[in-house]
Amino acid sequence: MAHAVKIADIAEFIPEGRLSNQDLEALFPSWPASKIYEKTGIQTRGIAAPGQTAGDLAQAAAQAMFAKGKVRPEDVDFVILCTQAPDHVLPTTACILQHRLGIPTSAGALDVNLGCSGYVYCLSLAKGLIESGSAKCILLLTADTYSKYIHPLDKSVRTLFGDGATASAVVATDAERSAIGPFVFGTDGSGANHLIVPAGGFRRPACAESAAEFSDGSDNVRSANNLYMNGAEVMAFTLREVPRTVDKLLDKAGLARDQIDYFVLHQANRFMLEALRKKMKIPSEQMPVRIEYVGNTVSSTIPLTLISMFQQGLLETEKRLMLVGFGVGLSWSACILTIQGK
Amino acid sequence: MSEFHKGIAEILEIDETAVNSATDLHACDAEWDSLAVVSTIALIDDCFNVMLDGQSLTNCKTVGDIEAMIEAARKA
Repeated sequence: MAHAVKIADIAEFIPEGRLSNQDLEALFPSWPASKIYEKTGIQTRGIAAPGQTAGDLAQAAAQAMFAKGKVRPEDVDFVILCTQAPDHVLPTTACILQHRLGIPTSAGALDVNLGCSGYVYCLSLAKGLIESGSAKCILLLTADTYSKYIHPLDKSVRTLFGDGATASAVVATDAERSAIGPFVFGTDGSGANHLIVPAGGFRRPACAESAAEFSDGSDNVRSANNLYMNGAEVMAFTLREVPRTVDKLLDKAGLARDQIDYFVLHQANRFMLEALRKKMKIPSEQMPVRIEYVGNTVSSTIPLTLISMFQQGLLETEKRLMLVGFGVGLSWSACILTIQGK
Repeated sequence: MSEFHKGIAEILEIDETAVNSATDLHACDAEWDSLAVVSTIALIDDCFNVMLDGQSLTNCKTVGDIEAMIEAARKA
């Protein structure tokens, strides 16, 4: 028998370290703090301390959720961690978290290596595990520490990304219909080079040569061990695929645009969100933004935005949301999420 | 082109009346850097519904060079 599925609770953890626009202005005089804010919509970014890993951030987010009391560690029968900065090459960070969080050894655990599209992908995996009867209570964690990949003198990415983590409990419910889905997906590996850490895997192991620093045409410094983003290509990809994906999902769900209460997009930066909003003609009150004090936290941006919508009281009555994740891969996905309200 | 000129003026941080085909992209208050190129891609998509290539835009010297690329893309 198929089981319906919903998100039972959700919590976050942003590390204490902060990177402000004033800090950045001191490094990049051609970009005053006011211009960085105007373009990115970001004032400060959370930065993990040396030795503080994505696993640590995910653990703190999970503990924050357990502390709320709706879901207990002993209820969890599957752990999914979405990260691109695992604690080790192996073993899987989700396995380590099972132990550190006191989750029963009868639980399954795995990592998913996706970035900005990851939360929506992981919701689809969680839904599949529950609807197939394989699991009942999934701890879905998102955590990343892109700051550790970023060269301190690369303003093209340092101005955007922040570290952070979220924990969601995706559970089986007695409801007639699932609150999550349908989904649409997309992948274009031809754009893999547009958002990449070129060295450090086995295609190009990190070595003295890959650590050699160079300056690009816009005075940014990085090495092949650092995160590289081709902003122009990522912008073009986003403007091309996101509106198409939204239309595809509406079609698949049999919904009209005005039947969606909120469009919760991956919080890349204010400029990109505004360009998308304009192109898709979505009123700003229907496109929530949470980026000012966290930055682009990769797979955590969508759940972080959901948390702030709950806190603002936007989800007290039943609401239908569309979640859209897009980025590194290139990879994208969208789904419908119905929030029941109080 | 007026909506485009207004947007370009904002990106280059110059007065709108100073924007014409001869405007030198490298002699404005804002640098013609990756951020300016990304902003221009979104502007052109919004104004003309065409998508220009980032590398080609980076290589442009004047506003006229950009306008020529827009024209070519619209005809294609």
